Amino acid sequence: MATTAPPDATLSPLPRADGSAKYSYAGYTVTATVTGPIEAQRRDEHAYEAHVDVIVRPAAGVGGTRERHLESILQSSLSQLILVKNFPRTLIQIVLQVEATPDNDYVNTKLVQTSLNFPIIPALLQTAVLALLSAAMPMRATATSAVVAVVSQDGTSRTVADASARDIETAQSVHVLAFTSQDELLLAESEGDFTVEEWDDVYETAKRICCQSGASKAGIEMLVDDESLNGPDMRQFLRSTLETKVDADLHWK
Amino acid sequence: MPREAEPSLNERQFILQALQENLRLDGREFDQYRPLELTFGDQYGVADVTLGKTRVLAKASAEVTVPYVDRPLDGIFNIATELSPMASPAFEVGRPTETEVLLSRLLEKTVRRSGALDTESLCLVAGQKVWSVRVDVHVLSHDGNLIDAACLAVVAALRHFRKPDTSMESGILTVYTPAEREPVALSWLHSPFCVTWSYFGDEGEIALLDATWREEQVRVGSCTISLNRHGEICQIAKLGGTPVEAVTLLQCTNTALTKVKEFSSFLDKKLAEDIKRRDKGGLMAELSAENDR
Repeated sequence: MATTAPPDATLSPLPRADGSAKYSYAGYTVTATVTGPIEAQRRDEHAYEAHVDVIVRPAAGVGGTRERHLESILQSSLSQLILVKNFPRTLIQIVLQVEATPDNDYVNTKLVQTSLNFPIIPALLQTAVLALLSAAMPMRATATSAVVAVVSQDGTSRTVADASARDIETAQSVHVLAFTSQDELLLAESEGDFTVEEWDDVYETAKRICCQSGASKAGIEMLVDDESLNGPDMRQFLRSTLETKVDADLHWK
Repeated sequence: MPREAEPSLNERQFILQALQENLRLDGREFDQYRPLELTFGDQYGVADVTLGKTRVLAKASAEVTVPYVDRPLDGIFNIATELSPMASPAFEVGRPTETEVLLSRLLEKTVRRSGALDTESLCLVAGQKVWSVRVDVHVLSHDGNLIDAACLAVVAALRHFRKPDTSMESGILTVYTPAEREPVALSWLHSPFCVTWSYFGDEGEIALLDATWREEQVRVGSCTISLNRHGEICQIAKLGGTPVEAVTLLQCTNTALTKVKEFSSFLDKKLAEDIKRRDKGGLMAELSAENDR
């Protein structure tokens, strides 16, 4: 399964944009650029805050309603994070280019798919946050995101953290949650049949992936166990990626 | 959207003066390309071309559709070039700029109309089912000479691409998934490449290969020559600009041929490396259900 590989990110791979990031995890590879704050067009201009423009481009085919929906979800989440009030009458443009999606050898996929693709949202959001950080955009908080599936097995349902494509196919319900770095819930999208108890379970699982931090762990042994059972520690990943980048940038040659 | 910043008068004169003294800003020779890199993705049909700071990603994909009514025996082959604001904030979604139109037309002329891909081989059931092959060109970073980079990316992606294998038995068409049968390569006839010359000076007497974005903004004209390694010219486009002497053009075409030969062997080498990388246990030859032509 592709999920076993840890997430991987490169900051500022593209020289011409203000900020850019490439992120790959669980078979998804997304490149993002951030430009801004730049001059906004009259129709997008807002008197008191910056307009956040999110553009999602699929790897193959032209974007349709599915991409527009993804854009609207990301747009509302990201404008909560960026300090938009600091830049009135400007535009902050975030372009997300999907480069690769996990391929299934057992089915021939159609090019244009209309249903919303849940597992891609964490990849898009994570890349957007990394690109915003690379562009040094003032933000209230950073965000981490995870997809959690509820799979029913022999009459009992269980939550699967960092669900793989196969889990999602057979899942009863799929949830995407995002948390800010202050442990606040930023985004919650759900699909399928589920009860409130199940959602609470999902919430706890997602919160553990998104909000745990390496320092608060009891011991090394537990850390190793956690990694394999509950998926990666996203916040730690975000932090270490940035630390590496800053170290490399400040290194005096 | 904001306009792209134009070079100042000083900058413009500096570049031109340097060119008069046989110098380029980045210290290259006049007929030297920037470092060229080509990587293939894990999936078939993904090519990522880096030419200096210019970066283009091409992805080929195929699906079964109904053919056009007037061409029942031909498959469908499309090249989609939509420049996103990723390349430059001056590009807007859904509103093609001149660069985008010229790029897509040149790629169309070079790859599609030169018959590089045999569209008849894409036909499955005459008049009912054909393959529709599509190449999406994504410009990730724009630092001049998009045409050459995009053309190389498209050709590389198509040559790397494998479409699902099919079979026809008593009128029933089966499209096999990659798990059932190893996908097959497209029927590729020749590999055309673009070489773009930029002209500088009052009479276009200075010719540069692989101009950067800065140089492109200062040039007085450009000429794109598309040809394959056998020297067969697919198209020459010189769209306006200062007239250039015929002899200069001839020399440019000759140099273009040597560059195209380099591209061609570069691509062959990269493709061979990629096949080797995929062919881990040496079982690829057995897996393939393809017949030799």
